[in-house]
Amino acid sequence: MVKVWFGYRKPWLGLATAALFAGAAASAQTSVGRGARDPLKATVIVGSEGKGLYVGAGIPEGNSPIYAAKDGAVPAGVEPLAHDIFTTTDFYKDRQLWSDARYYRCNSAVGLEQIWGAYEVPLIGDDPPRSAAWGYCDRDYPRAEIVSPYGFKSAKEHYAALLAETKRKGGPTVYTQATLPDWNGRYRRQREKTASWYNGAVLQIPTYLSLLKPEYQQRFVQQMYHYSGSNAAQWPGSYCWPEGFMRRFAQYGGGDVSLVMTPELILDMRNAAKTLITQIHIGREFDESGVVPRLGPDVPQWFGETIGFWDGDALITWTSNIQGWISHGGFEFSNKLQSIEIYTPRKDASGTFVGIKQEIVLYDDEAFVEPLRIVHNLDKQRELNQGDPLVIMECVPQSFPVDGHTTPMSPGQIVEYRVPDIYGRPWAQIWERYHEEGMQRPREQTGRFGL
Amino acid sequence: MKRRMASLALGAVVSLALVHAARAHHSFAMYDVGKTYVMTGIVTRVDPNPNHLQIFFAPLNEERTQVLKNDAGEPIVWAVEMDGAAISARQGISVNGFPRGTIISVGLHPLRNGFAGGGRGKSGLFKCPPDTPPAAGKHCDSVPGSTSHGEGVLPQPTDEAPARPKS
Repeated sequence: MVKVWFGYRKPWLGLATAALFAGAAASAQTSVGRGARDPLKATVIVGSEGKGLYVGAGIPEGNSPIYAAKDGAVPAGVEPLAHDIFTTTDFYKDRQLWSDARYYRCNSAVGLEQIWGAYEVPLIGDDPPRSAAWGYCDRDYPRAEIVSPYGFKSAKEHYAALLAETKRKGGPTVYTQATLPDWNGRYRRQREKTASWYNGAVLQIPTYLSLLKPEYQQRFVQQMYHYSGSNAAQWPGSYCWPEGFMRRFAQYGGGDVSLVMTPELILDMRNAAKTLITQIHIGREFDESGVVPRLGPDVPQWFGETIGFWDGDALITWTSNIQGWISHGGFEFSNKLQSIEIYTPRKDASGTFVGIKQEIVLYDDEAFVEPLRIVHNLDKQRELNQGDPLVIMECVPQSFPVDGHTTPMSPGQIVEYRVPDIYGRPWAQIWERYHEEGMQRPREQTGRFGL
Repeated sequence: MKRRMASLALGAVVSLALVHAARAHHSFAMYDVGKTYVMTGIVTRVDPNPNHLQIFFAPLNEERTQVLKNDAGEPIVWAVEMDGAAISARQGISVNGFPRGTIISVGLHPLRNGFAGGGRGKSGLFKCPPDTPPAAGKHCDSVPGSTSHGEGVLPQPTDEAPARPKS
């Protein structure tokens, strides 16, 4: 019987360890808070079909189908649970099963998100959802490669340590427009499914849950159930709701990056259903008198507010005052989310600038059990003034929730529309109203004054 | 009386126009500026909309002991709309400053269509000290230690807010 608990099963450990030491030798960390060895590349872990680590199930573009079993069959050697996320009548009651990968049929988060065909060939089978496919239970991405390798408890502590380190070297570096590193340009993030754990394809869901606090575990499982059991995805962008801070790092959304550089302000602009703009204010300090550090009024911002400084050719930023939200397929995050992001140049063997490495450390003590890290590589594509201009996305609503399902509507059609409580997890309001009848969702206690 | 009402209405129109001229993203004709309710309730949520911040609150009963509920036993929730989130934050009105459970008193001009909402206009907004409701029939401006947010006092009400607004 295969039982996969919170990321501790590592059948590929030999390969992974070899790669890990190779990586360590290539980039020894010399800083207190940046430049740690890159997370293990999922591609070094070869699956049985030779396509690299991919939990599945799925038929990703350019790959052969990846699933361990489909159409109601069970993979050899795996003992299925009596019921799972596809067959449950109440996923809330199954909390003790959430840490067992078989509850999700060993599908990754992306595996579940796409199982009805969200962006790949559906693998839900001919008797959905009972006949949904299985991913590979013997694959997982190491949790240790997801959590921050640094010992800081908060973004503030992390930023202060990096700033102090820079000051000891005589910094921060102050640039003029003439001396500023010329990173102006348009970039494409390396974004294949296996490029980052945050793309959701290489880790089992129990490993994902092990990163989250109980309330956010429940929210994540709720999201997974509504991809798999009810086929009722509620992607914020589909309704032109805000995309939110973490969308910057999603596999597709935010994958094309434009950088506009000045000594005082750097713009990091990306596109999803809307344009995602990060304004990096160089040399400024946060007002720390409130609940979270901020630059402007005490109003959470969809992309937060960002300060930064230069340490030579490394740009170090701190983002705070972020509006809590979700990036579909990923975890929900709270208004406490803060990030430390380090942009450093990548050069080829001849020393020519080819792109940017972006190291992102995420702090959210309301949602995460410990800080997390994402590392992305951005490849320079062209100059800012070459090719098509960046499209500023103004999302125009075309789809509406009809009976709890995202439904494209035509001009003139009439739809009964329930106004969402936009700051109160509107996606979950739809799920709970239309797709959780009879379930016993844990409720908040009634407070004082009967509220 | 008619003259007084007309004067009140005109004053309210002017005040709304002045307050919102800087950054309105919808017409304020939806509000009946001839009517003013003064309400005390418990904040359920603050929506920091950049155009118009909204405070959602459940009005307290006259005794200030329980929120009013509908026939299904659920709290009746009203919305009061005001300036944008950034301007409101300068008055100390924010998600962080008005968490769920905050007790507030505010005047509002109700929606003409009878739904549970209104515009703040130039009304004062008062926050009671934590867990300290006003005495029966009173508002937060009567509670020692309460705070005022933005200019204005609580206006004289012209009408009682309906106990069962349209929903």
